[in-house]
Amino acid sequence: MPAQTTIPATSGAFVGDLQLPKTVKVHNLNHYFGEGELRKQALFNNNLEVRRGEIVIMTGPSGSGKTTLLTLIGTLRTAQEGSLKVLGNELQGCDRDLIVRVRRELGFIFQAHNLFESLTAYQNVNMAAELLGIDPSIAQGRIKSLLTRLGLGERIHYKPKSLSGGQKQRVAIARGLVHKPKLILADEPTAALDEQSGREVVTLFQELARDEGATIIMVTHDNRILDVADRIVNMVDGHIKSDVAVLEASVICDFLKDIPLFGQQTPTTLADIADQMLVHEAEPGEVIIRQGDPGDLFYLIRSGSVEVRIHDGKQERKVAELKEGQYFGEAALITDEPRNATIVTREKSIFYALGKEKFRAVLAASPTFEQELRQALFSRQ
Amino acid sequence: MKLKTKTPLAWKNLTHDWRRLAAALAGIGFAVLLMFTQVGFQNALFDSQVKIIDDLQGDIFLVSKAKYTLAAEKRFPIARINQARSCSGVSGAYPLYSELTTSVLRTMDRGKGNRGYPLRSIGFYLDDPVFRLAGIKSQINKLRPPGTALIDRKSKAKKFNVPQADDAGLARRDLELANKKVTLVGTFDLGTDFAHDGNLVMNAENFAKYFPHRKRFGDPLSVVDIGIVHVQQGFTPDSVKQVLQKTLESDVHILTREEFRTKEITFWDKSTPIGTIFFAGKVIGFVVGMVICYQVIYSDIAEHMPEFATLKAMGYTTGFFIRLIFIEALLLSIIGFIPGAIISRIIYGVLGDQTGLLMLMTPMVIVFVFTTTVAMCVASGLLAVRKLLAADPASLF
Repeated sequence: MPAQTTIPATSGAFVGDLQLPKTVKVHNLNHYFGEGELRKQALFNNNLEVRRGEIVIMTGPSGSGKTTLLTLIGTLRTAQEGSLKVLGNELQGCDRDLIVRVRRELGFIFQAHNLFESLTAYQNVNMAAELLGIDPSIAQGRIKSLLTRLGLGERIHYKPKSLSGGQKQRVAIARGLVHKPKLILADEPTAALDEQSGREVVTLFQELARDEGATIIMVTHDNRILDVADRIVNMVDGHIKSDVAVLEASVICDFLKDIPLFGQQTPTTLADIADQMLVHEAEPGEVIIRQGDPGDLFYLIRSGSVEVRIHDGKQERKVAELKEGQYFGEAALITDEPRNATIVTREKSIFYALGKEKFRAVLAASPTFEQELRQALFSRQ
Repeated sequence: MKLKTKTPLAWKNLTHDWRRLAAALAGIGFAVLLMFTQVGFQNALFDSQVKIIDDLQGDIFLVSKAKYTLAAEKRFPIARINQARSCSGVSGAYPLYSELTTSVLRTMDRGKGNRGYPLRSIGFYLDDPVFRLAGIKSQINKLRPPGTALIDRKSKAKKFNVPQADDAGLARRDLELANKKVTLVGTFDLGTDFAHDGNLVMNAENFAKYFPHRKRFGDPLSVVDIGIVHVQQGFTPDSVKQVLQKTLESDVHILTREEFRTKEITFWDKSTPIGTIFFAGKVIGFVVGMVICYQVIYSDIAEHMPEFATLKAMGYTTGFFIRLIFIEALLLSIIGFIPGAIISRIIYGVLGDQTGLLMLMTPMVIVFVFTTTVAMCVASGLLAVRKLLAADPASLF
């Protein structure tokens, strides 16, 4: 049997360059508020990995814990239980000095602008540049270009009281970005902005992610900017309900769509199926399923290739080769019969597997499904 | 253009709201004024206590060990003066006599006198150079006849109602000193203090006649109130003092001018409620200033909690915030001190004219009040900074 993991297929953890460093690694993180009898758990066993350069959007109803998780990642709260690594530093049980060092590599954009009324836009942004000891002439150029980029070129030396709400928010965004942070944490950054400047801000985010390798985690309900997300994390009641790499999810859906079995499903159903799949890793020559064994999983080949072998009583012979995007293991799940073939990997491969129960649940949800399946099975032979 | 200077956040926050700044400056200026007037009054009163010392001409002074203050009528034998005169480094030693309780000056009206009030009578040998006061020196010859004296122009007019304008009128005034007729032949300027409502000076022979009971048996001039020692050129008062200490019996204090002054002021400061009263006044000024300063800094912090929390999130450290508030407090104290000091200077002038007290804004006084003001603002700033350190960046999301 291949190594079975609990990692969801849609997490994207096994795609692309596996060596890409993780900006944020959250492992079995629990968090509690209050003391003694009033102690209330706010986060339950949260697991999350965010890669360098990823743009993550966190959603969920209020009180779901997304803000708590964001403040924990931002070192603004002390990690209590579990592991929390940000930019390679374990924050659980770390000292003040480390926290200060980590904070200087972060960029915060809060829902409120929090600008000093006594300072001009330029000076407010400069407070962030000064802290990092950025060469003043370089800082000056960067502040001016950032503010200009955000449409405040004419108002660089205005004080906040002469700026509109949206303009103030853009100054605050400039302040969060001026020191080229490696990780940007933003809370509703576009809520106070009109369509155009909101778009400008997310475009800026994308450029920072692409050109500077900045990682961006934002909490937002602004569905106008969902398209920039590389990953969407949905939280409910302190649990990470789903953690989906958007690109990977769409790759899976594309695969599923091409499978006649699922061809008639709506994108929502396909996304649900994708969500239910778990990652399996296998070395070359491994037997994934064996003829005659009871079947319990449906496999989709994400990468690599396999051989299908059938033993006809006398000898085993290779009947087919399956490649990336193809699937196997469905027949035994439908008919409840033992596996009708043996599958052996030809190279290092990754599969996305769907459990029997879930497979059947999807099947039951679709009246035409069984028909299609039978059709498909028929047409394959 | 120099870019190296950091954003002056403390200054900007302080000066941003000019109304609050004005209120802060008024408050701190008021505290400064309060402290200045307390210090000024205290110094003026202490100075008036030792005005007589300042007006004496001498380098070293001898007083009885029992004389805890100038007004205490404790004397020492004149032999000490003679001993002192014979010491090396001494160019002259002179006795000064003074009398207070029995020195009652009574103004007479058509043969009847009022009850009379005590004032300080000072006796000295007219040839002894004991006074610095030009007013006395120029009138020495007037004091030669029997029954003559000069009166201090600043003597309390309510008690000693004498015409001061012209000497002729003064001389005609019918007066009794210790129940004996006295003729005032002129005036001089010394000043009153807590113990003395007025002063007379006269020659030693007259003094002996008015106060024969100074010593129960023997010459009233054989007991001295203050011995005045002049030091020869080429000797320092300290070296001569050491010689005197070896030579003289230990029933006298041998004091340099500064020690004599300090001893007298210390008595009034420590042994009477005066020091405490003024100390309380200064403390009140300090506390008022501190409360105002605390209020200003606290409200600045309270109004900017989210901003400060944002700075914290950005990675600004506790040290930065303490420095920030320290600078803010320092700036407050400096810009609050200036108007306070200017107004105090004006009030010093007015009060000096009104009370006759010497209100001097000496560098010492300015340094003292300024240091206290800075301490006051910095202390309150550091109290208020706790609020800032409690700013929680986690509350920002």
